[in-house]
Amino acid sequence: MLKAIKGIPLYLLALFLFIVTGLPFLIMFLTSFKGQMEFMTSPWSFPESFSLDNYKLLAELQFFGYFANSLVVSVVSVIIVILIAAMASYPLARLKFRLNRPIFILFMVGMMIPIHTTLVPIFILTNKMGLYDSLFGLIGPYIAFALPISIVIFTQFMRDIPKELEESAKMDGCSHLRLFWSIIFPLLTPAVATVAIYNFIHIWNEFIFALVLTNSTQNATLPIGLREFYGEFSVNIPGIMAALTLGSLPLLLVYFIAQEKIVTGLAAGSVKG
Amino acid sequence: MSRLQEISLDTVHVRKKKKNKDTWVIIGFIAPAFIIYGVYVIYSIFMTFYYSTFDWTGIDANMVFVGLDNYIQLFQDDVFWTSIQNNFLLVIASLLTQLPVGLIMALLLFSPIKGMRLFRSVYFMPFLMSTVAIGILFIFIYEGNYGLLNAILEGIGLESLQTAWIGKESTAIWAVIATVCWQFAPFYMILFRATMVGIPEELYEAADIDGASGWQRFKSITLPLLKPIIITSAILSVIGSLKYFDLIYVMTGGGPNNSTELMATYMYKQTFTNFNMGYGSSISFSMFIIAFIVTVFILLGDRSTRGNG
Amino acid sequence: MFNKKICWFMLILILLVVAGCGPSDSTNTEGTADDATGETDKENSSENAESDGDQTTLTLWHIETGPSKESIEEAVERFEKNNPNVSVDVSQQENDPYKSQLSVAMGGGNPPDVFHSWGGGWLKQFVDSDQVMNITDSVDESLYNEAALSVSTFDGKVYGAPVSMDVVPVFYNKDIFEEYGLEEPETYNDLLEIVETLTDNDITPFALANQTKWTGSFYLMYLAERIGGPELFNEAFERTGRNFDDTAYVEAGKKVQELVEMGAFPEGVNGMNYDTGQSRQMLYTESAAMMTMGGWLVNNVRDEMPEFEDKLGFFLFPSIEGGDGEKNHVVGGVSPVFSVAQQTEHSELAAELVNELASLETATDMSNNAGSISAVNGVEYEDPYIKEMSEVLESSQAMQTYYDQTLPPELAQVHLDTTQALFGLSMEPEQAMAEVEATAKEVLKE
Repeated sequence: MLKAIKGIPLYLLALFLFIVTGLPFLIMFLTSFKGQMEFMTSPWSFPESFSLDNYKLLAELQFFGYFANSLVVSVVSVIIVILIAAMASYPLARLKFRLNRPIFILFMVGMMIPIHTTLVPIFILTNKMGLYDSLFGLIGPYIAFALPISIVIFTQFMRDIPKELEESAKMDGCSHLRLFWSIIFPLLTPAVATVAIYNFIHIWNEFIFALVLTNSTQNATLPIGLREFYGEFSVNIPGIMAALTLGSLPLLLVYFIAQEKIVTGLAAGSVKG
Repeated sequence: MSRLQEISLDTVHVRKKKKNKDTWVIIGFIAPAFIIYGVYVIYSIFMTFYYSTFDWTGIDANMVFVGLDNYIQLFQDDVFWTSIQNNFLLVIASLLTQLPVGLIMALLLFSPIKGMRLFRSVYFMPFLMSTVAIGILFIFIYEGNYGLLNAILEGIGLESLQTAWIGKESTAIWAVIATVCWQFAPFYMILFRATMVGIPEELYEAADIDGASGWQRFKSITLPLLKPIIITSAILSVIGSLKYFDLIYVMTGGGPNNSTELMATYMYKQTFTNFNMGYGSSISFSMFIIAFIVTVFILLGDRSTRGNG
Repeated sequence: MFNKKICWFMLILILLVVAGCGPSDSTNTEGTADDATGETDKENSSENAESDGDQTTLTLWHIETGPSKESIEEAVERFEKNNPNVSVDVSQQENDPYKSQLSVAMGGGNPPDVFHSWGGGWLKQFVDSDQVMNITDSVDESLYNEAALSVSTFDGKVYGAPVSMDVVPVFYNKDIFEEYGLEEPETYNDLLEIVETLTDNDITPFALANQTKWTGSFYLMYLAERIGGPELFNEAFERTGRNFDDTAYVEAGKKVQELVEMGAFPEGVNGMNYDTGQSRQMLYTESAAMMTMGGWLVNNVRDEMPEFEDKLGFFLFPSIEGGDGEKNHVVGGVSPVFSVAQQTEHSELAAELVNELASLETATDMSNNAGSISAVNGVEYEDPYIKEMSEVLESSQAMQTYYDQTLPPELAQVHLDTTQALFGLSMEPEQAMAEVEATAKEVLKE
């Protein structure tokens, strides 16, 4: 009885947050079915007819190429980031050595530099490496700038893993590499999911490096492709909303998988605790 | 006897070898990340400081070394001080809203609510929306003449609160800060959730046997176990707020009358609009130093409370 | 274990995909032009191609969209036809980020061969940095409208060729004017009466979105010209007489604030964005009646709400009694202007490309399809609206180019910021003008 009454305000709170977090996405989704005129004259109304014109326009403008580029860049960067960030975090979280703290702080420092000042040095660097206007030229900076936050999160999670596990493995003569791969890494699933989501979204929506480091249409990522909808002094808002609605689907998918993974991953790795 | 000796010698040998081996393990594990990181990030940080000691437009070959003049000029720059102030408003607002709201959402996801999966997905949506979309939508939501927010206020009988939210200097910064917090709270939600799923069920079961209430359970089990991740989140949130750029750039461009200028948007303006690469770099490097100092303070504060407890 | 395998598998898979994509991209760009080189040394051929002299690639950055983008592309095609050994890599960029993008490319030492600008202070910044090629010798100056060419001429040297121009009239909704018995104003007092009538009827007189800043600047430029005359700005800019804190400027600032206080502009103008269409929205929904805007408004209308064009009329900003300005002095600007980067390796070809881009053919194309006034002399206009606009321009005795494009970027920024503050009533006109003048003293001292 008491629980039921208590449940009601809880539910109301949940619903309130539901509306606040979900409404803008819904508006984006609905706007993507409007024409420019309809949006201009009644921005908040329900679309008169669910016209797919904007989506057809996307196909015409070859958005799938941008989509593919974004996918390649994001997936490659995220996988590499997870691998090397988790590896780097392992000694930082689990081993005692003199330079541990300084190295950790050195990694953290990377979060503090505003991205825009790095444009000129990184542009020059990318040119020198001969990677200008290529997807590989983007992956480097994406990985580098995703490392700090990933290492911070991984280190945090790794510190929470009980020492006993590791010690018993060591008794069995397990090497560090094996220890990391077969014991620590599987226990990191929630952290991996979090890091993957964060970086995937970030890289998927990244604009300024993509703007400066690529140039040709065939290497443009989705955020750069949006320029198709910008006039010199105007924006085709419904068109942009269509592109971004479609563009958020992979993100939703990654989120779903990652979240499910946390639950199943934990069930599998329930050795802990 | 000789056998025993052999064994102890062996262990000494092994230990020495192991220490050596550990160094190589550490290097091997850290090197891949460190190399990429060093090439792009550390190099950039160094170059930022280097540029900041020049009077340079950023587009020509003519760099004049001026030492710390840019920094001296920066200290007398009113707009820079306004932007620092705005950045700290954002820091405080982020800490006070993003983290608690993220925590509440994460907790809600563990409560026995129907349709939890749906809630879980929708709660996350602000974070996966592109900043471009958020910026455009919120410009329209905050609009003074036909904006959605004003319409909602009218609907619930609060006409007196209606205003042109991002058109007025007094409200603009708050409107943007609210949007930033709205966007980032879900990130902390998943961070907290990922930690909470790791809390062993047995701890709660034990508490249930003791007849602990929900609040007691939260206070005595969840919160202490979340503390490290809360500290980490606080650091992420503070650093993120100190170098924040995106939505301000899209929504207000730092206006009206510089009232929403942040350090990063001001740096961008100086660097790319006014062609003051040297000066812009000095803003960047100052941002870097400020973020560094604040982070060290949080870490020290964390250590001292840990020491007391 | 399972995780690990999947990760590695995906990584390898993706690397394969990327590796597979890489060369095929270069085949697309090089293959057609470079068939002589075999499949085997494709990788090398991309590097050799430029130095060989067999095949030269020029890069062009522009920001045109819609029909004017097509005009650019057609011009490039003509150029490629005339120069079979040259291919042009055309990149269309987005207006706002373009500025940072070009700065980084120039500073980083890898700029496009030919690039877009608006002339004026922004281009001058690059000229001063020795980044723009002097093309006086290859450009036929007689082809162009004098005012248009002047925005890219510094110290008598030509650094860019103009294609199109725009003028800024006051657009209005004919239906609304008819409904309230209003007529196109001759004097500023007429305009004030119109403003009063409209506010009395709950219609916002001017649709203005001033987050964008240059939108509000139009009003200040016109008022200052109408009060201080056509030489006011030039004297202040060239430091040869009156300054930016002249009484005419202060007076203009006061008039702006007077209009704000009368309710001539929407609530919260400084938070509204022209690009996202917030001011046009007010025109379309007929909650606002007028808008001082460049001729491109017509293009926006044709894109967004074609049937609104019938209701759209325009008049020139009225003169002020006792002021030195005239009604037929217009504010306007030039875009695009094409220039050659100093760092280019193919200066002659690049200059030739500029000539093709700013040719009579391109200009005609652009005027008739994209609705802009030609900067190249001798275009026959088909579009009646553009014809009318170009007549306005021809009959005007003076053209004031936009301050924010004419002034050096830093000074332009101060002008825009202070003007925005005037509209927000958060700065006194005296203070605003003093601030502009203080920066002008610093920036324009020479």
